[in-house]
Amino acid sequence: MTAITAGDLILSVRDLKVSVNDRSVLKGLNLDVRAGEVHAIMGPNGAGKSTLSQVLAGRTDYRVDQGSATFLQEDLLALPAEERARRGLFLGFQYPVEIPGVNNVYLLKAALNARRRAQGIPEVDAYEFLTLVREKMKLMQMDDSFLSRGVNEGFSGGEKKRNEILQMTVLEPTLAILDETDSGLDIDALKVVAQGVNSLRGSERAIILVTHYQRLLDHIIPDFVHVLADGKILKTGDRTLALELESRGYDWVLEEARA
Amino acid sequence: MSVSAQSESPLARLSRVTVPAPAALNSALARWQQTRLSQLATATLPTPRDDAWKYTSLRSLDRRDLSPAADGLEAQELLAQLPTLGSHRLVLVNGRLDTTLSSPQLPPGCTLTRFDDYFSQVPEALFAGDIHLIEDRLRYVNACMTRDGVCIEIAPHTQLSEPIEIILLATGQGAYPRVVLSVGEGAQVQVLEQHRSAANTDSVTVQSMDLRVAPNATLTHTTVQESGHQAIVLAETRVAIQREAHYAHQWMALGGQMNRLDLKVSLEGHGAHADLSGLFFADGSREQHLRTLLDHQVAHTQSDQRYRGVAAGRGRGSYDGKVVVHKNAQKTASSQSSRNLLLSPGAEINTRPQLEIHADDVKCSHGATTGTLDENMEFYLLSRGLERSAARALLTFAFIDDVLKKLTPSALRTRLEAAVLARLPDAAILREFVT
Repeated sequence: MTAITAGDLILSVRDLKVSVNDRSVLKGLNLDVRAGEVHAIMGPNGAGKSTLSQVLAGRTDYRVDQGSATFLQEDLLALPAEERARRGLFLGFQYPVEIPGVNNVYLLKAALNARRRAQGIPEVDAYEFLTLVREKMKLMQMDDSFLSRGVNEGFSGGEKKRNEILQMTVLEPTLAILDETDSGLDIDALKVVAQGVNSLRGSERAIILVTHYQRLLDHIIPDFVHVLADGKILKTGDRTLALELESRGYDWVLEEARA
Repeated sequence: MSVSAQSESPLARLSRVTVPAPAALNSALARWQQTRLSQLATATLPTPRDDAWKYTSLRSLDRRDLSPAADGLEAQELLAQLPTLGSHRLVLVNGRLDTTLSSPQLPPGCTLTRFDDYFSQVPEALFAGDIHLIEDRLRYVNACMTRDGVCIEIAPHTQLSEPIEIILLATGQGAYPRVVLSVGEGAQVQVLEQHRSAANTDSVTVQSMDLRVAPNATLTHTTVQESGHQAIVLAETRVAIQREAHYAHQWMALGGQMNRLDLKVSLEGHGAHADLSGLFFADGSREQHLRTLLDHQVAHTQSDQRYRGVAAGRGRGSYDGKVVVHKNAQKTASSQSSRNLLLSPGAEINTRPQLEIHADDVKCSHGATTGTLDENMEFYLLSRGLERSAARALLTFAFIDDVLKKLTPSALRTRLEAAVLARLPDAAILREFVT
């Protein structure tokens, strides 16, 4: 695998149509994401934001009716979820699931080694891994108790989100899709999460922030802002678009699109 | 009309077995058995039409030879596979105490009596008119066939730092172990009951255990079922818990072809507490069945039940639990929880928690669920790059380990965790998660 450099096409979504329980949710979505970029996808509730995240990550209870998604020149939709993860796609969940009995840190180690095996590099040993995790935990202001707990078990909403970002910073994905990572966070936790995301920005990867509110974008400055409404990207702009959406709402974009 | 041998009840065949060896006929037990054995001639095995056997079919016994097994030569080999967990072991081979394989003596405060001798001294204590051929068929069968069982008496206020291991080995045909354990007032004891059988032998064990926990005593009882894949084990354990006494039972049903435990607990004294938990793992074509009866006879008694079941392949399992609260048993507290996991479309688990309450001031709860692995959990693990088979095995293990991790002593927990892991796919990956 050749190294990825700024400007390389990481993700290309073409005319993607997806339905859930026979209800059409994505209705011809197009999106290109290149290395080095941070994209924000904003939109009203029910616009299809979470569906897009879940479909790209490989959830199977959605039906892809039409279109394509290409990830690093491969047909993303043909790959099972675990293969997508190993190729460097990471989904930060809106609602991270609690898995009692499965250790948080062992899961992270297994995830990292699955990724490394796919990259053809040696697995991390226990010491090397623990050093890495401790460093990232410090960044995310997480204490040592996270090492011994079950996956998200008994975590507060904010702790769950920080744990998602911790996983992301350890796994160093080529494409991170963060689904409503800011929801349920107070301003201090939001800053910690933003710091974690910003630490990962780089020319060899890309980040998609799926969010309802613009406040996250005060801390993570996006290169592109897209409005996802009615199952399509209706408008694309820079960060000033997010500010405009904040003050004017989404209706004007929908009206503009209809016109 | 002639009746073919094939359609004859296995019990009828058993009735003609010349069990009592001539020398033993002199014992009171042998004479007792002699007079009752013939009654089995007309007895049949319970069928799923009997409510108590709704989920368990004993049809497979038709093809088994229930006559008492001879001394098992493989016993030593079977025993060697079991790491010691303490220094006090009683080994019963095909239901009979084997003194050469057992520890030379039990710790201070513990008295071992041969069951046959015990019966001579106190026949009414054991068969005090409560054996009913129809309702207690298997107990009756055990009573008619048992030989060289054990009776352990723990003196009041004895505190044992190590568990007493009771190891039950089966090497083929019928085994009829009888164990009596009486824990004296204020004593604290742990008993580990471990079942093993020779692989590829059609052993049938019909077991009876009688436990008595005297006032203020604590008995921790762990049953580990790891018999070979052709073994049938039908066990009944009766427990009487007296005033302020505590009985904890952990049921670890991992092996056997068909394994069934009937656990009948009487809470007889104010402040008596029964704490029952466990898990069964029915993979392949294995069957694991548990039936519990918690009989709250007096006020201020407590029972808790917490069971996990997993069925895979064409495995079958059941939890049939009943709590009875007598009229005067006010302030009874009782909880029942049965959570079950089906790992394949051919697997089956039946669960039936029942309450029968005759008092008006009680706190009783029950819950039962049977389902497949949580899809959201599975997707989360997949999205982190885990193989689907590893993700499923990991979730299964986490479900089971919730019960396993509470096992004592820790050496037993470690051994059983490893035994469960070995039966799940991707054991190598899983091992990382539990070490």
